[in-house]
Amino acid sequence: MDESFQEARKAPPEGTQDLLFEAARRLRRCEAALVRVFEAHGFAEVIPPAVETAEVFAEASAGGEAGALRVVDRRGRLLALRADFTAQVARIAATRLAGMSPLRLYYRGSVVRESAAESGVPRERLQAGCELVGEGEPAADAEMIALAAASLHALGIPAGDARIAVGTVGYFSALIDAAGASPRLARALSDAIDRKDLPSLTALCSELAPGKPRDALLMLAQPPRPQTEAVTLLSRALELSPAPAATAALQRLASALQVAKARSLGAELEVDLGEVRGLGYYTGIVFNLYAAGSPRPVGGGGRYDTLLGRFGDPRPAVGFSLDLDALVPLARPA
Amino acid sequence: MITVALPKGRTLGATLDRFARAGLAPEEDFAQTRRLIVPARGGAASFVLLKDPDVPLYVERGAADVGVCGLDHVLESGADLLIPLDLGFGACRLSLAAPQGSPLVQGWKNGEGGAELGRSLRVATKYPRLSARAFARRGVPVDVVRLSGSVELAAVAGLADAIVDLVETGRTLEQNGLVVVDDLLQVSARLVVNRASYRLKLEELLPVLERLGGAP
Repeated sequence: MDESFQEARKAPPEGTQDLLFEAARRLRRCEAALVRVFEAHGFAEVIPPAVETAEVFAEASAGGEAGALRVVDRRGRLLALRADFTAQVARIAATRLAGMSPLRLYYRGSVVRESAAESGVPRERLQAGCELVGEGEPAADAEMIALAAASLHALGIPAGDARIAVGTVGYFSALIDAAGASPRLARALSDAIDRKDLPSLTALCSELAPGKPRDALLMLAQPPRPQTEAVTLLSRALELSPAPAATAALQRLASALQVAKARSLGAELEVDLGEVRGLGYYTGIVFNLYAAGSPRPVGGGGRYDTLLGRFGDPRPAVGFSLDLDALVPLARPA
Repeated sequence: MITVALPKGRTLGATLDRFARAGLAPEEDFAQTRRLIVPARGGAASFVLLKDPDVPLYVERGAADVGVCGLDHVLESGADLLIPLDLGFGACRLSLAAPQGSPLVQGWKNGEGGAELGRSLRVATKYPRLSARAFARRGVPVDVVRLSGSVELAAVAGLADAIVDLVETGRTLEQNGLVVVDDLLQVSARLVVNRASYRLKLEELLPVLERLGGAP
């Protein structure tokens, strides 16, 4: 046998791992704690397949991230390893569960995505998450933010160590429309806002006509504000709002935050209108979860009102997923 | 408590000055001490001294909360970071340069990029990712040779048709018979911030960011 093949097969592929004994036990304990919370909130489990038609994940790639790991099957069809649970759950909800509203579904398992080399983000990532299908109201957004907070709580992460940054892509898209930015410029603006890159954002905004949309875009790289200042921040953004769609996005965010605040179990909610990054299909509220001890977000979610339509059953939906690779080392489940 | 990653290279002095003006200074001179981690006077922060290209990686992985390094290293590393401030110093350009009289000098202006060679252009650089991206944007096939130093030599000694390297004054290029074909990136020192630190240590970071961002 070829010597290099012998070497290669001794370790699992780059970005994957074997979980043994205590590590496996820890993961299962965390999953069990999460399952208890999800089920207590009325969510039911779905287990989608490990491979899908590659097309299902077309919109699932996150900003700057390479997509699914693909294979061609015996009949020449392009399949992909599961790259995103939400897209699969959307397919299930839009087909076998079409018209049944509301649906409260949860999942757990791993997704495989080609991650940037040397970024420390594994290729195979352990996740658990929830999707609420058929509810378009801000109360549903709040329910999912609160459930995400409850999940961190169930993992034994102290409220003081957790932060939830909430924004809305609806506001950003409305500003882009109002400013008449080209798709190329919109991508560059979104990237600059996502990196809080105020110098580049200022340079890019000089390509836009002066006016409210430009002023509002320039505000999006400002630092996030704690909940206590959220009202001030949102009212400033409302003053600058150039279009009804932008105003509507802000009002939705404000009412979702109001409900979520009361139910977030002490986890600090921050408003960040520059929180524009998420999976490609997000249309409204987006949020990212942070926990002390993890250098990257430990989860995130958002509203995706157009994804189910791609599978023939247009219905609003909102959900989140937790990154168990990041959370398990921090967790102290009961 | 925040950890600051400082760049060992030519911008170290300017970086230390700017942090000192923002009220953060190492309690010991890095040149005098053998310690690897030096606390700030007053203990509100600590400093680590790194090779410039390592700064983005330390900050991305959270071993440091903030750091300073050139935009060239930030983008070459591909690290997922926040880059809220341009500190202004360390200004230079990342440029594509070729020997005087190379067909590339004219060809690049016409959008050709080495087609006249009848093969892929060979480019030597310390910045393979940024070089590959610049050529991909033009649809020009390129053979990138990754070097760790003396990049000009590669073009002079015939290892490569062109180089991509930092240019400050252009004097080194001139002395070696090379000319700038195009500027790929305007570089200056940037403050980089870990995404999670930005949320979880915002109260500590905001005043530092504000003082660092103030007029020099």
